[in-house]
Amino acid sequence: MNLSGEVALILRGARTQRRVIGALIIREMHTRFGRHYLGYAWLFFEPLLLGTCIGFIHLLRDQATVFGPFEFYAVAYVVFFVFRGIINRASTAIPSNIGLLYHRTITLPDIFFARHIIETVSCIGVLVVLLFALFAINGDLPENPTKVGLAMIGMALLSQGIALMAAALTHAVEGIERGVHAMTYLILPVCGMFFLVDWLPEWLQTLALYIPTVHIFELLRDGQFGSRLRTHYDLGYVAGWIMVTHLIGLAALRITRQRIGLE
Amino acid sequence: MSQIGTPPELSPQPRSWLFRFWRKPFFLLVIVPSLIAAFYFYAIAAPQYVSEARFVVHSRGNEGGQAAAMRAAAGAALGGLGGLGGGMASSETNSIRDYLSSLDAVMQADQKLGLVALWQRPEADFLARLWFTEPERLARFYNRMVDVALDPMTNVTTLRVRSFRPEDSKELAETLLRAAETLVNSLSERIRNDTLKVALREIEIAEKRVLDSRAALLRFREQERELDSAGTAQAAVVLRGQLEGALAQARAELTERLQFMRPDNPALQGTRNRIEALERQIAAERSRHTDTSATLGGAILVRQLADYERLMLEREFADKQLASATIGLETARTESQRQQLYLSRIVQPNLAVYALYPRSFTNVASIFLGLAIAYGIGWLLIVGMREHAA
Repeated sequence: MNLSGEVALILRGARTQRRVIGALIIREMHTRFGRHYLGYAWLFFEPLLLGTCIGFIHLLRDQATVFGPFEFYAVAYVVFFVFRGIINRASTAIPSNIGLLYHRTITLPDIFFARHIIETVSCIGVLVVLLFALFAINGDLPENPTKVGLAMIGMALLSQGIALMAAALTHAVEGIERGVHAMTYLILPVCGMFFLVDWLPEWLQTLALYIPTVHIFELLRDGQFGSRLRTHYDLGYVAGWIMVTHLIGLAALRITRQRIGLE
Repeated sequence: MSQIGTPPELSPQPRSWLFRFWRKPFFLLVIVPSLIAAFYFYAIAAPQYVSEARFVVHSRGNEGGQAAAMRAAAGAALGGLGGLGGGMASSETNSIRDYLSSLDAVMQADQKLGLVALWQRPEADFLARLWFTEPERLARFYNRMVDVALDPMTNVTTLRVRSFRPEDSKELAETLLRAAETLVNSLSERIRNDTLKVALREIEIAEKRVLDSRAALLRFREQERELDSAGTAQAAVVLRGQLEGALAQARAELTERLQFMRPDNPALQGTRNRIEALERQIAAERSRHTDTSATLGGAILVRQLADYERLMLEREFADKQLASATIGLETARTESQRQQLYLSRIVQPNLAVYALYPRSFTNVASIFLGLAIAYGIGWLLIVGMREHAA
């Protein structure tokens, strides 16, 4: 087979895959929110509501330092919501869409990509709304919006990698999905959303920096507050996590697909 | 003709596995870049020599209340995870670390040593050498080549400097250490001066008060021509007592003589005269010292006494204040000695013999691993795409 033919084939496949993912997004929206339009609004309201609630709780509890507690926690929660949303739904993705796999053009990763795109886009929308609302109220924009966006994308990609692995694992081992669900809550205090690495004693800092989400939240804070805080993060480390989880996740899904076929 | 003339594809003759392998995308995308990286690291890259120094910033005295407050805040933020502290470096050590990676340190080192020339030595290879000499970009390069790490458990700060010549590394490490020492000394000086300054000012005030009170007393004595008003008053009281005694005695004598003498007996006249003289004398004494209704010159002693006692009291207070200020200065001095900061070197900057950097094997291995993983992901994604087309 010559190379140009191969490339053409792949491009044709890519176009089809794009259409499949687009269709899956629409289908997913319908199944999750019903057909009336207020249903879609929940997609935005849920993270917005939770984010502002967390923000207000901390606004009442904490004192403003170099940053207001509201913007510190509310924005971080929206980013955390991507993580939560993607990983919590990972274990149900295969069982609830198993019928679709009869169509040859729909593959397992498509289902995940579609869901993750919905989750990420809605949270990016909420993030933009929240940041503009904060700009309207306080008058300060994030110091470096690129870093905020990068943190959001990094979080989505990391979550996707973990979700792919988790989905394959839940399919392989019965009953593990409850554990996955519990994990997203257990990781909440250590994921970096509620603290800055700089606040920790140094021996704990080195431990905290093993957690990839901590780096992402540090990046988010760096983009949000810039030089007002001292942040510690290593994007290479996060990239490594994203790559390894994707490799394992995608490979595991291929194995899972063969097993589904055997059933 | 051309269809027939394509023997390489059709030929059943098996190529060597190496030939087949090099046409694989894995070879092109992973092995070749890794080999290029390996070639660079093993053949081209200039050796970089590390000079390492370690030091401790000792701060005797209060161990930074600020750090404790920060720790408490962190504990509160973590929601009951308080008491995690322990082994938190003092704020001084942190500030030295921050200083050593700051633009200020870069500029100082550049002034003393010429960092640009140091990192643009002819033996430096094109990838690792310094390209941009603007201060901010120089600082970025500097932070890549100079690593300041603080071990929080032992408080030891490790300074590692890399450059293309062992002597350069050592010299730069030495320069940075000296800059850090200067900073520590100036911080220490500042703390000491702040503590002492207050105590010294206190002493100055007390000394001035003592001198003032002495001067006032002297002026009083000159003005009033009197050495000791209290003594004078005492003398006046004694004198009056004596006069009163003499008067009483004279009166008793008169009464006694009247028992057996006629009142107009001239022998009594002497006694009467004495009584009269004594009474006049007593009245004069009294008006001289205490009668406030008398003329301006009157009641001098009362006023003098009041002034004198006020001055004496002032002098006493001034003396006491000076004594307490002196004690304060002593404590401040010992306190400031306790609060001294100093940087002590544990490991002197060494002269490297073997080039530890670049870490060829680690770098090549991580490049290979990263590319292999990226290739794996790419392969999985592309295969996924192809499935859609099939």
